[in-house]
Amino acid sequence: MSAWRLRVKLRSATGLLVSTRPTQRHTSPYGPLTLCRSLSTGSHLRNEFFKDLEAQLAAFRKKAADALPGSSWSPLQINPNLPPERADIVIVGGGVLGWSIAYWLKQKEMVRGGVRVLVVEKDPTEHLGVLNEDPVDLQFNQSGYLFLASEEVAHIMEENYSTQRYAGAKVSLLSPTQLKQKFPWLNTDGVVLASYGLENEGWFDPWTLLNAFRRKAISMGVIQCCGEVTDFKYTTDVLRTASGDTVDLKRIGSVKVQMPNSLEYQPVECAIVVNAAGAFSGKLTEMLGIGSGPKDSIAGIPLPVEPRKRYVYVVHCPDGPGLDSPFLIDYSGVYFRREGLGGNYIAGVSPEEAEEPDTSNLEVDYQFFEEKVWPCLAHRVPAFEKLKVTSAWAGFYDYNTFDQNGIIGIHPLINNMYLATGFSGHGLQHSPAVGRAVAELILDGNFKTIDLSNFSFRRILTQEPMLEINIV
Amino acid sequence: MLKIIIPTIMLIPLTWLSKNSMIWINTTTHSLVITLISLPLLNQFNDNSLNLSTMYFSDSLSTPLLMLTMWLLPLMIIASQFHLIKESPTRKKLYITMLISLQIFLVMTFTATELIMFYILFEATLVPTLIIITRWGGQTERLNAGLYFLFYTLVGSLPLLIALIHLQNSTGSLNMLLAQYWSEPLKTSWSDTILWLACMMAFMVKMPLYGLHLWLPKAHVEAPIAGSMVLAAILLKLGGYGMLRITTMLTPITSFMAYPFLMLSLWGMIMTSSICLRQTDLKSLIAYSSVSHMALVIVAVLIQTPWSFMGATALMIAHGLTSSMLFCLANSNYERTHSRTMILARGLQTMLPLMAAWWLLASLTNLALPPSINLIGELFVVMSTFSWSSISIILMGINIVITALYSLYMLIMTQRGKQTHHINNLPPSYTRENTLMTMHLLPLLLLSINPKIILGTLY
Repeated sequence: MSAWRLRVKLRSATGLLVSTRPTQRHTSPYGPLTLCRSLSTGSHLRNEFFKDLEAQLAAFRKKAADALPGSSWSPLQINPNLPPERADIVIVGGGVLGWSIAYWLKQKEMVRGGVRVLVVEKDPTEHLGVLNEDPVDLQFNQSGYLFLASEEVAHIMEENYSTQRYAGAKVSLLSPTQLKQKFPWLNTDGVVLASYGLENEGWFDPWTLLNAFRRKAISMGVIQCCGEVTDFKYTTDVLRTASGDTVDLKRIGSVKVQMPNSLEYQPVECAIVVNAAGAFSGKLTEMLGIGSGPKDSIAGIPLPVEPRKRYVYVVHCPDGPGLDSPFLIDYSGVYFRREGLGGNYIAGVSPEEAEEPDTSNLEVDYQFFEEKVWPCLAHRVPAFEKLKVTSAWAGFYDYNTFDQNGIIGIHPLINNMYLATGFSGHGLQHSPAVGRAVAELILDGNFKTIDLSNFSFRRILTQEPMLEINIV
Repeated sequence: MLKIIIPTIMLIPLTWLSKNSMIWINTTTHSLVITLISLPLLNQFNDNSLNLSTMYFSDSLSTPLLMLTMWLLPLMIIASQFHLIKESPTRKKLYITMLISLQIFLVMTFTATELIMFYILFEATLVPTLIIITRWGGQTERLNAGLYFLFYTLVGSLPLLIALIHLQNSTGSLNMLLAQYWSEPLKTSWSDTILWLACMMAFMVKMPLYGLHLWLPKAHVEAPIAGSMVLAAILLKLGGYGMLRITTMLTPITSFMAYPFLMLSLWGMIMTSSICLRQTDLKSLIAYSSVSHMALVIVAVLIQTPWSFMGATALMIAHGLTSSMLFCLANSNYERTHSRTMILARGLQTMLPLMAAWWLLASLTNLALPPSINLIGELFVVMSTFSWSSISIILMGINIVITALYSLYMLIMTQRGKQTHHINNLPPSYTRENTLMTMHLLPLLLLSINPKIILGTLY
């Protein structure tokens, strides 16, 4: 019996010794038998016994917790994906605006770790990135934008031209003959005037920009969380105006973040909430009771941002306009631009008000392309009569139903919610500037670089739209 | 002393048997009344001590600290009312019980005659504090904070136990009053050197000394308001009190054994003051300022001159009140904005002017403005250190300047400047908060009229 035991020990001992570093052999004066553990600290050397013990201990703890009634308090962190219990600033929405704001907040804090920022994003499938060390190359194609104007809107284009030249943008106005000279593939039928950006105008890769902001922000200490904000805990202060009406001012105390596909949630106590939720910002403010007051009070005015589905189609046309084609926007609203160097183009159009597609899903309607986009494209660029749709996607615009322009600033009825939403498709181009502006608002108290106070929620209260002319 | 201890013990049944609506009222008023009982102890009629029994005594060193402890309990209870609103009555009563048991241990610690009893209660104060930090603290980091707090203090004080038992064996008694007369001078041998270290390290960790101070910012920041108050105001002073008591038995090798700790403290107070300038978290700033002030006390105790002892005791009382008040102010900020970050709540003077007045007074006493007792303490320490070594005046001077810098930085950052947009609707200061600040400030300001009460045994 003892001999058998000795043999087993010897086998396990030599097994252990063999599996250690082959260069060094530990020998004790009493032979390898007595030295069952070597002195290295690699994890693979842990004895089976201890591994079992740990597993058994975990199982025991779980069993005890299940058996005993009582509080759910446990000193161990159960789910590593949960957001922290406290953050100073919670940014709802991890799109390009949200991450831009996070980046600028970290950039502006004067001390490292000054503000604790958490970005909550509902759908991270589009935002997973791979860390790499190359400098950010946004793939900026400087091919410029080409706006076409018909008879009715030509005067607006001229006004815009003078504004743009005054601001320093290098744009030029082209007549139809000049257009035909420059872009022989273009059909100038119905075009009276065109505006072409000569320098520093074009398109870039939004995915790269988002990832750049995101990576940099995370490296500076911003915490990212994948979850959905489902509720707020707020305190209400009831004030009375001079005429005797009551006004409810709310202060958000904590944000309830729900984990994806699970009932688990974490209330995050916070000082400031930034609403950069894009298409769903309206829904977010509804949770706070904005829009559900009496019709003639401030509380009755909802945040006029709702999701609008837009389709983008990728088409392949080998005989298309070629490498010098700009981002062309027709006066009918149809646009296309070159994508890459292989004869692919991206095209689309904003649907009419009456024909807004259903926003409950992100499915693409190819019928829409056949009926609305292709005829105009083919009319404007004859080469596009023969094209093939290779793929398409749909996305939500955070459409500001009031005046299709962004809303930046604090909401009058919620003391600590900053809005940065409603850009109606222009969020990407505005994101660096708006991020910086919101960071200045939060940390400095007012705008410093550019005064964006015209974008505040006030214009919605006073019903004075700030319309931009000639938008896509 | 039983006339203080028994009523304090009876506060526990008072808490548990009160009606739910009367918990706070009962405990606050009764603890205030118990404070009045400690006032007669101020009547010290000779230079020795007031020996009330074989187990308890009080002299002019322990009396101010005892009064500070007892004064602080009603203040802690007042300060905790807001953040415990949502808890169940049982939890509230449990919290108050923790505070009261901490109070019992502290009262007994400051009046203990026997050093072993002092030690046992010194360790016993860790338990309620740990429970308060880890159960009612704010964030997940509180577990780490509790761990640091517990183990730093335990590891530091275990050698003290061994040293005390050895002293009991060699001298036959650990009665503090007798020990000063019976103790033999220590020799420069290894064993006596280690005995010196063993006795002092527990208090060095508690003060805390600069190199051993890591537990303090964590514990202070993560603790709830009452925990922060008691930590800053009293528990740190336990270390100072212990050092003051035990140095009488550790002569004469203190003259050279103290050098490393003196250097660490002199350098550490400048370091921690400088760290305060770069803090973004308000509570963390006040915690580091505590380390800086306590470093002054360590220096004073180790150079062992009459003026330095007076300065040390005055500084301990003054810092206790000031630091506790600063934590209460920071907490009032936190309750409104849910954030401890300083840059997120600025320009509060326009919104809450009375609170701004308390902030101003607290910051001014923190930077040792004349004629407050903070100044008396610091001045005595600086002067005695100068007489010990002329060069130290440079370090002390730099420390005083940087202390003024960060106190004013904290004041300007939170009170002055343009307000941030998201604080435009804060609830105004509650009477409870104003009472709290007044009760901190009144002793602080009145003591500057008659500081000899707090100048300790050598006045």
